[in-house]
Amino acid sequence: MNNKLLSLFQLCDSNFPTGAFSHSFGLETYIQEDKVHDQATFAEWLEVYLMEQLVYSDGLAARIVYDALENEDFDVIWEMDRLLTVQNIARETRDGTQQMGKHMVKIADSIYDAPMLSMYRERIRQKQSFGHSAIVFTMVGHYLGVPKQTTVLYYLYSAIANLVQNAVRAIPLGQTAGQKIIYAFQPKLEAAVETVETLEDIDFGAVSPGIELSQMQHERVNVRIFMS
Amino acid sequence: MSEWTGELELDTERIQDKTITENLYFQGAFKIMRPVYSHHSGHPSYYILNPGGGYLDGDTYRMKITAGTNAGLTLTTQSATKVYKTPNTQAYQEAEFYLGEGSYLEYLPDPLIAYKDARYLQKNIVHMSKGSTFLYSDILTPGWSPEREDFSYDCLRLINEFYMEGKLISYDHIKLNPGEQPITGMGFMEGYTHLGSFIVISDKVEPGLTDRIYDLIQQEDEDVTIGISQLAVPGFTIRILANYTQVIERIITKVHHLISQEWFQTKPGSLRKY
Repeated sequence: MNNKLLSLFQLCDSNFPTGAFSHSFGLETYIQEDKVHDQATFAEWLEVYLMEQLVYSDGLAARIVYDALENEDFDVIWEMDRLLTVQNIARETRDGTQQMGKHMVKIADSIYDAPMLSMYRERIRQKQSFGHSAIVFTMVGHYLGVPKQTTVLYYLYSAIANLVQNAVRAIPLGQTAGQKIIYAFQPKLEAAVETVETLEDIDFGAVSPGIELSQMQHERVNVRIFMS
Repeated sequence: MSEWTGELELDTERIQDKTITENLYFQGAFKIMRPVYSHHSGHPSYYILNPGGGYLDGDTYRMKITAGTNAGLTLTTQSATKVYKTPNTQAYQEAEFYLGEGSYLEYLPDPLIAYKDARYLQKNIVHMSKGSTFLYSDILTPGWSPEREDFSYDCLRLINEFYMEGKLISYDHIKLNPGEQPITGMGFMEGYTHLGSFIVISDKVEPGLTDRIYDLIQQEDEDVTIGISQLAVPGFTIRILANYTQVIERIITKVHHLISQEWFQTKPGSLRKY
């Protein structure tokens, strides 16, 4: 391991203040309906969320943005920022990714001397861009010289690890159960990165109906500890 | 010779109080009937026909519909769109809509029925101008199969792209892939068989409207799961999981009536043809 990788680790830490602890991305709807109530049902939900939404949105976007950074084709990045935001049909999830993106770019820009991050932050400030953590994370990975696939893998890992922490609080699950799920997800995360590699542009934003509906319904869930 | 199985182009314009056909072209397995003007209104309804009776292996369909400045029209189909097995190449349809300033376009086709081993990709690309309104619905139903199993089709993908004055404002991509997914399970169809969507984009949509629609659809007593959410621009999407086409149609009709009543103090004409 080198220091570059260690730096990217910092962004994966669930203590990294992006506000991810406030967002369940529809999980809370399933918890309220008692469809997710233990380690097994949560792991089932998490896999569907990863493989049927995250890979097609954040995962594919991270890959495309990394390539665009390599080619210095910045318009592709700004298009991806817009696409990532508007493809979220559920308002809370859309607002949530935007908030997290803003938080992350602000901190990342303070830590790293990377012109791309400053540019992205400025565009968001001027409302030319929305902000998305998948794009910020990829910019940092690329800036640090971490390979593309590793960057995508670590981004997906951080998303999953955050959701596990949220599930531990909300379901609730034991801390050990949470760590076991994260460990068990390693091969699934690698499979997700492989899937991302095989996707074409037209696959972008595909989502399974139940996952999306739960995110739309969350607005009307009675008892809420999450904002999405 | 066109390389499309079916092609359709329709341009409309508003002359005084009436929206009329300015240009119409169709060829192959697409046809359009003379527009129907109901109850002395200047608002035409156009019915699309698929004389071939269904979409087959490798079929490609294309339509381009334009609503001129302040024009208002309804576009629908005469019957359900049926997609049959596609052993070699998926069936494909693309539709482009151009909405002039202040125009009103409804595209409310009958359900899509996907039969055994069917694969289908549909793209709707909607270009809107200031002050225009677009309404769209779709209903996806699994076709009958000899084994009487639901979801015998292979893959359905529906993509909707919406642009306002050239800027992407919403992107919607539903993928149902019973060939590879545990389609009935959590996160997928949640135990239901039918999926409906109703999308409305208009400056006239204010937050209170989605609340009133939510209250209205909460009254549905059939077994359904419904979600409604506002888009990044004034507008909303409703998604419905249910077990019957009629239930989804009824909910969409109710919402459509509420909107027409609030915006135009009118009741939309019935589009169904039986």
